[in-house]
Amino acid sequence: MHILADLKLVAKALEHNEYVVIKQLSNTIIDHVTAHQDPDLLSVAVIVYALSKLIEREQYKDEKNWKKFYTSYCGTIGSMISSLEKNDDKGFRKAIAANRSLIVGLGGKLHYYISDVITRARMNKASQLYEKGISMEKTANALGISLWELSEYMGPRSEDKDNLYISLPLSKRIALAKEVFG
Amino acid sequence: MGERMKQLIFDAGPLINFSMNGLLFVLEELKKNCNVEFLITKEVKEEVIDRPLTIRRFELEALRMQELFKKKVIQLAAISASEVQELRKLRNEFMDVANRSYIAKHKAVHLLDKGEAAALALCVIMKKKTGNEIPLVIDERTARMLVENPTHLGKILEKKFHGTIDIHLKDLRIFEGFKIIRSTELVYIAHKKKLTGISGPKALEALLYGLRFKGASISDEEIEAYKGMK
Repeated sequence: MHILADLKLVAKALEHNEYVVIKQLSNTIIDHVTAHQDPDLLSVAVIVYALSKLIEREQYKDEKNWKKFYTSYCGTIGSMISSLEKNDDKGFRKAIAANRSLIVGLGGKLHYYISDVITRARMNKASQLYEKGISMEKTANALGISLWELSEYMGPRSEDKDNLYISLPLSKRIALAKEVFG
Repeated sequence: MGERMKQLIFDAGPLINFSMNGLLFVLEELKKNCNVEFLITKEVKEEVIDRPLTIRRFELEALRMQELFKKKVIQLAAISASEVQELRKLRNEFMDVANRSYIAKHKAVHLLDKGEAAALALCVIMKKKTGNEIPLVIDERTARMLVENPTHLGKILEKKFHGTIDIHLKDLRIFEGFKIIRSTELVYIAHKKKLTGISGPKALEALLYGLRFKGASISDEEIEAYKGMK
């Protein structure tokens, strides 16, 4: 199972705080999301990407409760791995839910910082998912965000460099518009 | 006898795109100058007004959109209760067909959602009602490809999914015949009619890139082609 192998690599990279490797692994997980269309994998991709950002950023590491939060966060990754090893889908989902609920108990600045990291992680994965060919509406729904948020985060896409999505010559499309506007 | 009122149906994406680029006034100008109605579905209204009104970050945009709605620049299509029922049925049929017709790794690929499917369904209802084929403004590339070139969409999905895609092309015929334009075509027309409020050699390029960066699917080559048009 790809996701188990990826999560084990995440755990290994965690030992040396290799956030670049962890970030790359979150991209690999998005490939699995596209292939399997599995919302649980999408959640894991967001969790892993957010983890890379948590390690990379320094600004909140002196905050009260940071260590406890971070230890619990990494603990949920461990729980996901052990559940997958036992083919325990229920346990795997429980670990994802436990990760999501960690932020609920946080207060003050740390809550603000971590919320920001997670929001950005969702947006990052949303734009990657869109790049993989999934529609904007579907992508927004899968990540529980609005089309407005997703549009705000749209950036340059590799497909714009080629003509992959041209399905009608431009002259014909303009002619359609001119039928209406003269 | 006066000229027949033309109509356009909007998906949520182009309206959001216009809003985020500060171009909603362009719709007002186009309506004023070109005798055209901009129609939306209930699903699109939810996405462009009702939902963002509950999100602080987008509340202002939602209020601006609501103003356009109050001024009837964008309006719900006037359809009867039975037509609403028919629209729902068609919407579900479109979603069902689209979302079971492309199979990757033994699993159907989910391609079409409620908003886009309802906008397509409204095109069908309005054609029955008025006898006219009303174009749909949609920036979403997947829905556009589904309508205009479903085989090519399959090839794109094969690249993205790194594997073979089985397509049930026969069922996809229900998507034939729709007329699709994007926000970029609207802005091009508005620019030519000097309704965008900006001019100069960079104006069209800036407008098109602005729309692209908020979700309109347009290639570099198309933008260059636009710039070369008289």
